Amino acid sequence: MTEIKKTYKNYVDGKYVRSESGKTYTVELKSESYELPLTSKKDLRDAVTSSKSGFDSWNKLSQYNRTQIIYRLSEMIEGNRDSYVEILLDYGLTKAAANKDIDNAINTIVWYAGLADKWEQLTGNLNPVVGEYFNISHQEPIGVVFSLNSTEISIDKLLSSFLPALSIGCSVINLSEKNAVLSLKLAEDINNSDLPSGALNLLSGDFSKILDDVSRHVEINALASYKKLNKENLKIINENASTSVKRIFHLPSEEGLSSILPFIETKTVWHPKGR
Amino acid sequence: MVKWEYSESIESDSIVSIQDKYGHFIDGKFSTPNSKNYLKTVSPSTEEVLASISIGNEKDVDKAVNAAKEGFKRWSKTTPSERAKYLYKLARLIQERSREFAVLESIDGGKPIKESRDFDLPQVASNFFYFAGWADKLDISWGAKEMKPYGVVGQIIPWNFPLLMLAWKVAPALATGNTVVLKPAETTPLTALLFAELCEEVGLPKGVFNLVTGDGTTGAELVNHEGISKIAFTGSTSVGKYIQNAVGERDIGLTLELGGKAANIVYNDAALDQAVEGVVNGIFFNQGHVCCAGSRLLLQEDIHDEFINKLEKRMQTLRVGNPLDKNTDIGAINSKEQLDKITSLVNEGVNDGGELFQIECELPSTGYWYRPSLFTNVQPSYNIAREEIFGPVLTTLTFRTPEEAVEIANNTEYGLSAGIWTEKGSKILWTADRLDAGVIWANTFNKFDPSSPFGGYKESGFGREGGRHGLLSYLKVRS
Repeated sequence: MTEIKKTYKNYVDGKYVRSESGKTYTVELKSESYELPLTSKKDLRDAVTSSKSGFDSWNKLSQYNRTQIIYRLSEMIEGNRDSYVEILLDYGLTKAAANKDIDNAINTIVWYAGLADKWEQLTGNLNPVVGEYFNISHQEPIGVVFSLNSTEISIDKLLSSFLPALSIGCSVINLSEKNAVLSLKLAEDINNSDLPSGALNLLSGDFSKILDDVSRHVEINALASYKKLNKENLKIINENASTSVKRIFHLPSEEGLSSILPFIETKTVWHPKGR
Repeated sequence: MVKWEYSESIESDSIVSIQDKYGHFIDGKFSTPNSKNYLKTVSPSTEEVLASISIGNEKDVDKAVNAAKEGFKRWSKTTPSERAKYLYKLARLIQERSREFAVLESIDGGKPIKESRDFDLPQVASNFFYFAGWADKLDISWGAKEMKPYGVVGQIIPWNFPLLMLAWKVAPALATGNTVVLKPAETTPLTALLFAELCEEVGLPKGVFNLVTGDGTTGAELVNHEGISKIAFTGSTSVGKYIQNAVGERDIGLTLELGGKAANIVYNDAALDQAVEGVVNGIFFNQGHVCCAGSRLLLQEDIHDEFINKLEKRMQTLRVGNPLDKNTDIGAINSKEQLDKITSLVNEGVNDGGELFQIECELPSTGYWYRPSLFTNVQPSYNIAREEIFGPVLTTLTFRTPEEAVEIANNTEYGLSAGIWTEKGSKILWTADRLDAGVIWANTFNKFDPSSPFGGYKESGFGREGGRHGLLSYLKVRS
C-alpha cells in the first residue's frame, strides 16, 4: 500500500496554513525529508494580527482556566509520545535521549501550568511607602511577543521558548528554523488543548529573512531570541526596535521565575487612605 | 476675593560655595579634564553665570570608564554588608548637608526652595537609605539562584530633578555591586559635583562612582564606549531612541525612562475640590518639568464648566517668582532653550484653535519664566494634546463614558503615568486595569517613594526604578 505522508504547515490563528508565498524549505533528516513553509513577511503580519486578538481572548480567560489549558497540553503530549519520539530519532537522538526529552518537556509544561495562577503573587507586592497611601505593584503581561526558538533538537527547549511568555498571559509568535518539524508537530497538540486561536502561533522558516520586519513591527511588543544571534543581526534588531522602543531580549533565562521577568510590565497604583 | 499679600521670605544662599571651574570626578578624586572646552552653567532665575563646567571628551570618558572597571574589581571584593554601610553613610551625609544641596539645586535649576527642600532632598536621602538596605539582601530579593551585577554602568540623567535622578540611578546601581560613570545634565551639574565630594568624604573605594560632566557629545561618548556593560538613561524619548539604536551589535543591558503625556481623568463623581488640587499639583509641580506630569486633563463632559471655573480660580493663586523665596510655587523655567520650546508649542496650540488661559502675575525682569497656562477647547489631534510640553501648560479634553476616557488616555505612544479621580472604588480599579501606564495615581498625583517602582509602558521606556523591581534593572538574574 502506498504510504501517505503528512504535509507540515504553519499554525496561525488556530488553522494550519501554507506560506502565502508558496515557498518552502527542506529539512533533510535521517529517514525522511520534510518540506516546511518558509515564513514570509506577509505570513508574519498575518500572525501579528492573529496574536493581537489572541492576546485579548487569552486574557479574557481566568488564570485558573489558563492553568488547565496548559496542563492539558502535557496530557496531549503524553498520549502522542511515540510520534514525538519518532521525529526526535529522525533528528538523530537516541531512544533514551528522546524519551528523556519528552519527560523533561512534560515536567516543564506542568511547571508553567501551575505558574499561570501564581506568577503575579511571586512578582508583585505591596510597597511600604511613607504616608497614608495604599501602594501596590500589579503585574501585567507585556502583550504580543515574538520568540525565536533555540537551535537545539528538543521539545523541552521549544516549550521553554514560548511557555514563559504564554503562561503569564502574553500571546506568542514562535519561529523555529531547522528544528521546526518539532514545533509544527506540536501545533496539533496545541490545537487540541483548547488554547484560544491566536494565543500561540507557530511558524517555520529562516529568521534572517523576516528579522527586519519582526524588529520593526510596532504591534510586536517584545522580541526574545533563545538562539544566539550574530552581531550583524543584533545591530539591525536594535536599530529597528529603537523606532518604537521595542523590548529586546537576547538569550533570556529559560527556566524558573527569571524566565518570565522579561515579559512583565509592572503597573504601580497609589491611593490615599482616609476616613 | 480677598487678595493676600505675602512678605518675602528668602532662603539665604550663603550656605553654598560654588567654584569658578570644575573638573571631572574620576578614580576617587577631582582631576583636570583632557577636554579644553567648557560650558557655563547659569542660574535660570537670574541668568547669572554660576560656574564653568568641562565638556568631557572621548579621553575623559575613557579615563572614567577605565577607573570604573578597576573600581568594579574593588567593589566586587567589598562584602554586601560593607557596600550597605557606604550607602548608609552617604544617606546620612546627604541628610546633614540637605539644606546646602537644596539651595544649590534651586539656584542651578530654578525650582522653588520649598520643593527642593521638602521634596527633592528628603527623597534623595531616603533612596540611599532604601537601597542601602537591599545591598545585603539581594539573595532573598527575588529568590534567585544567581544574581550578578552588570559591571560598569553608564548613567545619563536629566535636568528636572538633578540630584534625585542621581539618587534613583546611583543608589540601586551601587547596592547591587555595579560601578558607575554618571553624566549629569549640562544645565544642572552642580549638585552632582557636590555629591562627588561626599563620596570622597565617606571613603567610597576609588573608581566606584565616577562623574564626567558635559553635554550631549559627552553622553554619546559614554553610550558608545566599549567598556560599558549597561546603560541607564532618563530623558526624552527621542534621545532614548538614539541610545537604543546606538547599542547596535553590543549585547549590553539597557533601561530607559523616557517622556510622557499623562492623562489625568476626572469623573463626574469625583470630589471636585480635591481633584482641582491634584490636577494643579499634577501639572504645575516643578514648573511642569516632570516626565510623569498630568499634562492632559480628561474631564467628564457634564462637569467641564464647573471644573474649569474652579481650576482657573485656583491657578490664579499660584505664586511665580524667585525660587529661593519660600512662598514661591512656580520657579524659573530651567533654560532659555526649554522656555523657547514651551512658548512655541503654546503658540501652536493657540493657532490650532485652542482657548488659552494664563494667570495674571508679574514676572521677574531677568531669568526664564512662564505663566501657568490652561488650554480648553482642544482637539485630540492638536500637538499640545500629543507632544510632551515639559512646562506649566495643561491641556483639557472631554469624554462622556469611562470607555471613552480609557480610549483617549491610551491614545498616545507614551505610557508612563496616569491619574484617576472618582469616589467610586470599583471604577478606580476598572479604569486602572485598562490604562497603559506604569504608574497610576488614584485620587492623588505625583507621589513618589523609593520603595515604589517607577517606569513606563510603550514609548515611555522600559525597566523600573525604585522598589524591589528596581533591583532588576541592575542585576542579571537566573532562578
